[in-house]
Amino acid sequence: MQGMVTVKNLVKTFASKDEKVTALNNVTLSTPPNKILTLLGPSGCGKTTLLRCIAGLESPESGEIVIGDEVVWSKEKGISLPPERRGIGMVFQSYAIWPHMTVFGNVAYPLEIRKVPKPEIEARVRRVLELVQLSGFENRLATKLSGGQQQRVALARALVAEPKVILFDEPLSNLDAKLRESTRQELRHFLTELTISAIYVTHDQMEALTISDEIAVMRGGSIVERGTPQDIYLRSNNKFVVDFIGRANFLKATITGYKDDSHAIVVCPMGSIVCSAPSNLSVGTEVTIYTRPESFELAPDSPASPAPADPASENVFEGTITGLLFAGEAHEAQVSVGGATILVRIKSHRQLRKGDRVRLRIDREWCRALNPAEEA
Amino acid sequence: MSSRTSTRSPLVTLLILIVGALTAGPVVMLIVGSFSEGISAIGQFTTAKYIAAYTDPTLPKTLLNTAIFSLGTATLSTVLGSLLAYLSVRTDIPLKGLFRVLPVVPMMIPHVLFASAWIALLNPTNGMINVFLRNLLGLSRSPFNIYSLGGMIFLEGLLDLPVTYLVISPAMYSFDTVLEEASRVSGASNLYTLRRVTLPILKPAFLATFTLAIIRSLAAFAVPSMVGMPGRITVLTTHIHRIISVGWSPDYGKAAAIGLVVLAISVALVYVYRYLISESSQFVTVTGKGYRPSIVQLGRARIPLFVLCLALFCFLVVIPLLTLVYMSFVPYTMVPSARAFSMMSLRNWQAVLRNSVIVRAIKNSTFLAVVGATLGILLSIFVAYVVVKIKSRGSALIESLSFLSFSFPGMIIGVGFMWFLVRTPLYATIWALLVAYVGTYLPYGVRPMRSAFMQIHAELEESARVFGATFLRALRDIVVPLLAPGVVSAWILMACMFIRELSVSVVLSRPGTEVLTVQIMRLATDGLWGQVAALGLIMIGLSTALVLIANSLRIPLSHGDH
Repeated sequence: MQGMVTVKNLVKTFASKDEKVTALNNVTLSTPPNKILTLLGPSGCGKTTLLRCIAGLESPESGEIVIGDEVVWSKEKGISLPPERRGIGMVFQSYAIWPHMTVFGNVAYPLEIRKVPKPEIEARVRRVLELVQLSGFENRLATKLSGGQQQRVALARALVAEPKVILFDEPLSNLDAKLRESTRQELRHFLTELTISAIYVTHDQMEALTISDEIAVMRGGSIVERGTPQDIYLRSNNKFVVDFIGRANFLKATITGYKDDSHAIVVCPMGSIVCSAPSNLSVGTEVTIYTRPESFELAPDSPASPAPADPASENVFEGTITGLLFAGEAHEAQVSVGGATILVRIKSHRQLRKGDRVRLRIDREWCRALNPAEEA
Repeated sequence: MSSRTSTRSPLVTLLILIVGALTAGPVVMLIVGSFSEGISAIGQFTTAKYIAAYTDPTLPKTLLNTAIFSLGTATLSTVLGSLLAYLSVRTDIPLKGLFRVLPVVPMMIPHVLFASAWIALLNPTNGMINVFLRNLLGLSRSPFNIYSLGGMIFLEGLLDLPVTYLVISPAMYSFDTVLEEASRVSGASNLYTLRRVTLPILKPAFLATFTLAIIRSLAAFAVPSMVGMPGRITVLTTHIHRIISVGWSPDYGKAAAIGLVVLAISVALVYVYRYLISESSQFVTVTGKGYRPSIVQLGRARIPLFVLCLALFCFLVVIPLLTLVYMSFVPYTMVPSARAFSMMSLRNWQAVLRNSVIVRAIKNSTFLAVVGATLGILLSIFVAYVVVKIKSRGSALIESLSFLSFSFPGMIIGVGFMWFLVRTPLYATIWALLVAYVGTYLPYGVRPMRSAFMQIHAELEESARVFGATFLRALRDIVVPLLAPGVVSAWILMACMFIRELSVSVVLSRPGTEVLTVQIMRLATDGLWGQVAALGLIMIGLSTALVLIANSLRIPLSHGDH
């Protein structure tokens, strides 16, 4: 399995002065081949440690790491390959561009080590520099480049030897916001174009959502949820994940019945609401439901005799704006609905004032009840 | 704004005058002196001194010796300093914390004593190690001769080790280990990474260290004089010393003519050093995450390298100190034996303490250390304040002036002070030494004071001004208490340097103004090694006492008046 990384029961603790910190708590993970998997989580969640263990820059205490078909680290089998024999490429947060070498020197380095013949090195470096749009920069001292250009040198260096997998350790966090956004798209474009396996570490949710094929969210040394960006953002069943990725309104609710297998009717401080929910929860079960601020839309002020079966008339609430912030593309409104105050994003071309009454609607798909059994 | 300038610019002007007199004064007089007929005829223009100095038939050999000595010493001390720095900063060598302190310890041992101890061990006639090996192996000749270029390089190389260590280890600390990790994941082994990434990036730092070691060995006097002269190996400092100390009329003009060129070379090298240091800091990359630098596992080499470090430490501290203690109790140099121990007595100590010249030297050195360091640090505080807090053309001038003397070889600047002070009432008094000490060692006070000032945020002082304190009041109430710990450390450093000062003293010391190190050299010339050892230990005791007393002041000072 070219490019697949499998990690089994990995444990790693750091001993600081008088306490032991568990960085990796029995982590098991396998990456999809030729896809981009992102390890996402707040700082200290173990994502960088996991990446460095895979790279061989850090040694775990127990477990096993397999890259492709090769076991590169195993406590049981007593295998521990040094980083240089793992066939990987890596892009570091600080880029780690060697200051005493030119752009060409930096990128050619992995090929020189592999004793690739000179003319071939030239050709391959040229090709990869063209790919990252740095043709013509070959003889520049690498440290004289801008941040974005250094980042591309680092990428070229990681790509040039055609590694089984490329590891990214927060590669965009040293770029300014604008550049980060465009580089994100560029990077995603490269990696999907080249069909390369990549493991990408970041603490930035937006970055994770835009760049990944799959996301594994980590917390306290464990993976708490794994899925596509859409799954993670829209259909997460984990309160920590929901809270960490974007903003959400959490409300306590009680199940009063089911519409169908996957949609329940619950009563919450906003009133009665239809939401997607785990099936087979008994009536009366206490659950937490969540909504994203941008999932709400303004409903027409006076409904023209709503048909009860029409889903468009479902989940409509009346409320009062109690707080209002203008955030450019949208208003961020605190709306008091029934006994709850919820955060709502409303497109900015609508004139709004504090105290206005609004009618809000939310699709049943974008209102979700978390499984009480899984709630942390 | 106007009150600011009115309080401050007289201060700046005054400081420029004082610092200028202390640093540029002797240099100017050295130039004037080199074109003068003689010390009593300043200003009568002649080029005779240059002609005499540079047609001296012994000069080419001296230059060659100087080159070999300097390059050899610099190589040895850079290699050893770098090795120790690398091992103590980057590897898992045992007793790491200890190895961070040890390289600095030899700074406490004055060069004259270090040389004396090794002469007692390795001189070809009765050096203890030589005698021991001769008897053991039945040799007819001594296996080692310290009175050689090799011996000089060995001693001076070890003596410069603390300096090279201190220059290279910050570079090791700031080295971003991610650069090595990037090489490893690119497929390079540890060794290949060391060769292609680590060493090239540290190259400017190595070169800077090497340059500094050359500057130091060009100025070295104790080892060339005590070890070189008996072996008839002359380097530039001993050459100059001979010109001013041998014969009926010391020729200070000829000494100035040669000294000026050495001075120019030293100044040029200091600029090279500065350039290299800034070059090496360019390679310092900023890492986002404070990742613990990865520690290099030494594996099987761990214990052998540890033993090597221990051996070095023995060479530097343990062996010389034990030798001195032993020597101070035996009547003449002899290999330790039952007979030697039975002959032990306090005679050397008594002889030293009954010698009125030596007692005067102890008093003089103590006076110079306490008063000199106090005045020197006081001046350094003002200079550092002006350099850090007042950004003006004047403060830049003061900075270059105070930095300038950093490169001055003591012996040559001593000759400069000779010319400078000869027509003043200070000449041949203890105050002449005091002025020369402060001028020569000013950078060693200004540098630590400067970094201490840089750590005190301007707003702390400004807020005192806002709340009504005058400039001097704010200085006293806010800046001085915060500065106190730094002041004490700098004072200790300077006082210890003054106790062990040799190369300036050897030019300016006169009957009545004898100092410790010069007396130790006199005793050594007379072959009284037991007394050398006893006086040397008294000297070390004196420095230690100063350190302890100053340290006991540190605590009440840093807590202010509360």
